[in-house]
Amino acid sequence: MQFEGEPVATSWTEQAEAFTKAFTEAQTKVWQSWFELMRAPERVMPFSSGAVDQWRELASQGLKGWTAESEQVVKDVAQRLHVAQDTAMRFLELSLRAWKTVAPKVKSGEDWQTIFANYAIHLRQQLVPSSESDGTAKTVQDMAELWRLYQEEWQKLSQPWAESWRRASWQFGQAATGDGSALIKLTNLYWDAYERTFGRLMESPSLGNTRELNEQLLKGFDSWMDFRRASFEYQVVMSETWCRAFERFIGKLVSLSEGGEPIEDLRQILFLWLDVVDEIFLGVFRSEQYVRLQGRLMNTAMTYRVHEREIVEAFLKFSHLPSRGELDEAHRRIYELRKELKELKATVRQMYSLGEGPQ
Amino acid sequence: MIPFLSQMQPEEFTRQLIEMNRKVIKGIESLGRIRDEDFQVGVTAKEEICREDNVVLYRFTPLVERPFPIPILIVYALINRPYMVDLQENRSLVRNLLKLGMDVYLIDWGYPSRGDRWLTLDDYINGYLETCVDAVRQRYGGEPINLLGICQGGTFSLCYSSLHAEKVKNLITMVTPVDFHVKEGMLNMWAGCTPGQPSLDVDRMVDAFGNIPGDFMNFGFLMLKPFQLGIRKYLELVDIVDDEEKLLNFLRMEKWIFDSPDQVGETYRQFIKDFYQGNKFIQGQVRIGSQLIDLRKVTMPVLNIYAEEDHLVPPASSKALEHYVGTNDYTVRSFPVGHIGMYVSGKVQRDLPPTIVNWLQERC
Repeated sequence: MQFEGEPVATSWTEQAEAFTKAFTEAQTKVWQSWFELMRAPERVMPFSSGAVDQWRELASQGLKGWTAESEQVVKDVAQRLHVAQDTAMRFLELSLRAWKTVAPKVKSGEDWQTIFANYAIHLRQQLVPSSESDGTAKTVQDMAELWRLYQEEWQKLSQPWAESWRRASWQFGQAATGDGSALIKLTNLYWDAYERTFGRLMESPSLGNTRELNEQLLKGFDSWMDFRRASFEYQVVMSETWCRAFERFIGKLVSLSEGGEPIEDLRQILFLWLDVVDEIFLGVFRSEQYVRLQGRLMNTAMTYRVHEREIVEAFLKFSHLPSRGELDEAHRRIYELRKELKELKATVRQMYSLGEGPQ
Repeated sequence: MIPFLSQMQPEEFTRQLIEMNRKVIKGIESLGRIRDEDFQVGVTAKEEICREDNVVLYRFTPLVERPFPIPILIVYALINRPYMVDLQENRSLVRNLLKLGMDVYLIDWGYPSRGDRWLTLDDYINGYLETCVDAVRQRYGGEPINLLGICQGGTFSLCYSSLHAEKVKNLITMVTPVDFHVKEGMLNMWAGCTPGQPSLDVDRMVDAFGNIPGDFMNFGFLMLKPFQLGIRKYLELVDIVDDEEKLLNFLRMEKWIFDSPDQVGETYRQFIKDFYQGNKFIQGQVRIGSQLIDLRKVTMPVLNIYAEEDHLVPPASSKALEHYVGTNDYTVRSFPVGHIGMYVSGKVQRDLPPTIVNWLQERC
């Protein structure tokens, strides 16, 4: 692997050295930003998110290059190692932003607890939109843009529904963990898929029974809206939990310091953060309110999926192709026949053992 | 200045950062050199005894000339793979039981396909489990055998023992859920032990998925401790990359954790509804096939083993068994570890096998 401005590395050792250097430089920039800001909070901090991006890019390159020939388990572990590091860096970014906001006030002599409490409120307002309509407007905007992009590419994929679901499955995971952009992507996937399949189908003059399809589409869209609302409610709680975790983390740092146990180790600070976040999130996860919220997210997602399949099955029917439901039904009949066969075999065996079989 | 900030030394942090990065890179390099054959799992010699559909019954090759006269059949859960009991040579419950003279059998439930989605608990308990028990018994003159049920496999073993008590000489349950409404267990709560359907509409889920994808199940398990299992564990990985043995152990465990078969739809539906949501197991209301499960019919000696720090099956859920079984010979043992620690902790691997073997020998 060769990086810009670096001599060509020929051996593994040289590659590793070059990588370590670049890797460390990128991360050091972020840490330096931290300390510079601490020392001179009145200056506007030119925080370089580019440094974090650079780090991510390098880590990603390293992973791909060095585990290209590895087994899947190894690739997965390397990937998770990268994600863990990346998360730690994101934490650093968040902490930096927090400090950037409150540092000038601390310097001017305000009480730090009050400042952090206010900061948490501010953060909450940023993370949690004041009304759903704001989010909807943004989504509609994005949807229109995506629709346009789609028009350019709509013939590229031969199996749009399969593709959209393949992508939707992991985006659902992202949505569940609080990544708002994933929801917008889900919206887009829905309309992408619609446009590539039924949008075309509806325009076909040879297709007569469109009312039934329309009803299914409307039901599908309703269930998608339900899911989206549930996702939004879920994200609100997750965002608030992140705020509380951050408040608690800062409080812990301060109390450790005041108790004569200052943080002196990089890993100490990362692990303290992880402990605090785990504690706060687990507290929420155990609550009845969360259980219901997660249940609603899950249940609406499943309802949406069921409606989606009904639509797909109608499409397959029109195309004279077997559907999932038909295959499931065939499997059910085979299962029942096999069970019956096993029972008959057992009965025959028993008869033989009692000397009642054919002579 | 906020006090904690003034105590951090940037130069020292930078030095540590460089050190950590060197370790990460060395870790990736080490990982890149490892091949699948370097971290094989389930290596203890075994032979296939019988097979029905996806399910295979194995017998491990005894390590002593004259093994214990009554064989022991290990019944693992449908979730994850049973090689956890034989993860590697020095962390193998199976191997340790063999060393102590046991004759060990194991059921491998296999990887269900979409075509298996209609299988029910009846098919597993009165079908596959019954076939395996009979196959083992047939090799020992039709005598009753010992069952060792682990986690959900323990619940299955209890169901089986209540229905076919005459075929089970002794029953051992390990990290086995019995009372599913113990609220310390987050899994219990998420599966609907309190609000029921609003927390998990399992009918809708099975209708949507058919079989429940293994990856989906894994996501749920990781969410029980998201930051510890998703981040901290991998940050700590950099500390062991210099140690090849520890790194390979880590990879074996990763392989097991993410090797998750899909869950058969109908079986999953019934297990969630009757056990987690209805808590019918301890009320004598679970129906397997045409029969109700009555734990009072579990009359053979029972050894119940639980993990004191178990976050998946809370101790109270396992310990509840003593209130419901009909046996007069009930023993309970615990170990100061978590759910996974029961298989891999060095101390447990030292103490658990003799606990099982001594208990069985006393009841031979």
